[in-house]
Amino acid sequence: MSSSSVTVQPAGRPGSAVAQRLAGLARSPSLRVIGRRLLSAIPVLWGVTLLSFLVMNALPGDAASAMLGINATPAELRAFSIQLHLNEPLWVRYGHWLGGVVTGNLGQSLASGHQSVASIIGQRLPVTLELVVYALVITLVVSIPLAVLCARWPRGIIDRLSMLFSMGSISIAPYVLALLLIIVFCVDSHVFPSIYSPTSTIVGNLRNYTLPSIILAVPLIGFYTRFLRADLLEQMQAEDYIVTARAKGVSEWRVLTRHALRNSFIGLLTVIGLNLATLIGVTVIIEQIFSLPGIGFELLNAISNRDVPVVEGIVLVFGIAVVLANLLTDLLYGVLDPRIRHVASRS
Amino acid sequence: MSLPAANILTTASVAPAAELAGPAAGRRWVRNLEIAIPATVLVLLLFFCFIWPMVYPVPKPVGGSLTTVNLPLWSKGHIFGTDIVGNDVMSRILYGGRVSFEVAAGVQAIGLAVGGLIGLVAAYRGGWTDAVLMRILDIFIAFPSLVLVLAIADSLGPSETHVIWALSAFSIPAFARVARAAALQLRDRPFVVAARLSGTRAWRIMFQHLVPNMLPQLLTFSMLGASLTIILEGALDFLGYGIPQPTASWGNMIASGESFISVYPRYVVVPSIFLLGTAIALNMLGDGLRARWDVR
Repeated sequence: MSSSSVTVQPAGRPGSAVAQRLAGLARSPSLRVIGRRLLSAIPVLWGVTLLSFLVMNALPGDAASAMLGINATPAELRAFSIQLHLNEPLWVRYGHWLGGVVTGNLGQSLASGHQSVASIIGQRLPVTLELVVYALVITLVVSIPLAVLCARWPRGIIDRLSMLFSMGSISIAPYVLALLLIIVFCVDSHVFPSIYSPTSTIVGNLRNYTLPSIILAVPLIGFYTRFLRADLLEQMQAEDYIVTARAKGVSEWRVLTRHALRNSFIGLLTVIGLNLATLIGVTVIIEQIFSLPGIGFELLNAISNRDVPVVEGIVLVFGIAVVLANLLTDLLYGVLDPRIRHVASRS
Repeated sequence: MSLPAANILTTASVAPAAELAGPAAGRRWVRNLEIAIPATVLVLLLFFCFIWPMVYPVPKPVGGSLTTVNLPLWSKGHIFGTDIVGNDVMSRILYGGRVSFEVAAGVQAIGLAVGGLIGLVAAYRGGWTDAVLMRILDIFIAFPSLVLVLAIADSLGPSETHVIWALSAFSIPAFARVARAAALQLRDRPFVVAARLSGTRAWRIMFQHLVPNMLPQLLTFSMLGASLTIILEGALDFLGYGIPQPTASWGNMIASGESFISVYPRYVVVPSIFLLGTAIALNMLGDGLRARWDVR
C-alpha cells in the first residue's frame, strides 16, 4: 500500500520535513480531486446566480416600489430607483454584482439601510446551520439503530412498524406536521415554544430548535431507515465478506453492526449528500412557520422586498452548500472505503 | 464532473427495494394488495372529487351562509361541519382535492414530456449534447428549487395554472435525470444496437424502442412525484404564493385554519388527513408498481 493521503506521509529527516510535506501536498491526489471539483463547480455556481438574477428581474415591481409602498409618487420612485442603480440595464447591474463577488464583495442590501449582504448572511447562517445539523443528528441517532433492528429481524414486528412509520413520515407535509406538533407541544402542553424567542441559555436555545429540527428530521428518518435497511439486507444476503465472517463464527449482531453497517454507510452517505439541497429547501418553510431568523426566513423577506443583492447572496450560499456537500461526500468515501482512496501517482 | 442529483425525488427512486425470498404465493397475494389498496383509495378520492359534485347537490365551497358558522363535525347536512365563514368543509375538501389532483397531474405530465425528452435525447445522443444538457440541469439542481418556485409563482401571480408552471421547475430536472439513467441502461442493449444497425432512424429508435421500455420506471417515478407535488402545492398555498385565498384547496384550508389552531384544531386536522392520505396512497402505489415492474 502506498501512502495515498497527506496525513500518513512519513516524517522523514527533520531538516527537509517541511519541504517534503509541501511537495507531498502538491502531489496529493485528494487535493487534486478537490481542486478539480471546485473548478468544475464555478460554471454551475455562475449559472445559479445568473438564473436567480434573471428570475428576480422577471418579477413585477422592484426594490424601490416594494419599499416606498403604493403611495409613492412617480417622481419619488424614479429618484429612489436611480439612487439604488435600478435604472441601469440588467446586464450592467449583473456585471457590477459579479465583479463585486469575484473580488469578495457581496454588495449591500437595498432594503435594510445599506447593511452589507455578507453581514446579513453572517447573522442568519448560524441559525440555519444549527437547524440542519440538529436535524441530521436526530435523524442519524434514530434511523441507524432502527434500521439495524429492522435488518436483524426482517419482516418482524419492528420492521413492519418502522415500514408503516416510514410510509407516513415521507408522505406527511412539513407544514402539516408542524401544525400538528404545535397543537400537541405548544397549545395542549407548553413543552416547546411555537415561535422563536431569543435566549442566551443553552437550554432555551435547544428548546427553540427542537421542534423545527424534529419536523425537518421526520421525513429523513423514514427515508434513511428504509434505505439503510434495504442496503443492510442486500449486504447480508449477497456479500462474500459476510459469509466469511459468519464462517469464522462471528455473532450475527457483530456481523451486522461491524461488517455490514460499515459498508452500508457509503450508500447512506451518498443519499445524505444528495438530499442536502432538498433539506435546505424545507428549512425555508420551517423557518417561516417558527419565525426562526435563519437564512430561509431572510430569503423570503428579500424576495418580497425585491432585494436582489440579498437574494443573490443567499442563493450563492445555497449553491456553495450543495457543491461542498457533494465534495465532502466524495472525500468521505475514501475514509470509509480504502479501495476508493484516490491512488497516488508516484511515477 | 457532474454534481449528483440533489433531489429527494431522484434519490427516492434510487433506493433499492431489497426483497426477501419468501413463500411465493403469499408474497404475490400481498403484492397485489399493495397495489390494490392504494389504487382503490385513489379511485374513490378521484370519484368523490370530480364526479360526486356533478351528480349530488354538494353545497358550494365558497359563499357559505353566516347563519351556519362553525358547526362541529358530523352535523346534519355538513359531515365535516362548517368553517369560520359558514362554508361546508366537506365541499371545500372535495373541490380542494380537484385542485390537488389537477396540479399533480399537470406537473407530472409536463415533467414527463419535457424532462423525459431532455433525458432521452441527452442519453441517446451522448457527447456534447449530453454534456451541455446535463450542465444546465446541474444548475437547476444546485439552485434551491423552492426559491425558483416561489419566484415564478410570485411573478406570474397566484393561480392554479401558474402553480403548475412553477412546480414544473421541480419535476422537469428530476424526470430528465431519471429518463437519462433509464435510457443509458437501454442504449447499448442488443435490441437497440440491432435496430441501429438495420438503419432505423434515431427518432424511431428513441420513441418506439427506448420509450416503451423506459415507461415503467418513469410512471413509477411520477407516482412518487405526484405525492411530492401535492405536498408542495399545499406549501405554496400555505406561504401565500399558491391558489388565491377564498378558492378551496387543501393548502388554503390548512393555512386559514392555522389562525384558529388553538380553539378549533379540526380546521387543520381534516384537510391534513386528506392530504396525508392521498400522499400515502400515491407513495404506496409507486412502491407497489416498482416492485411489480421490478424497476430498481
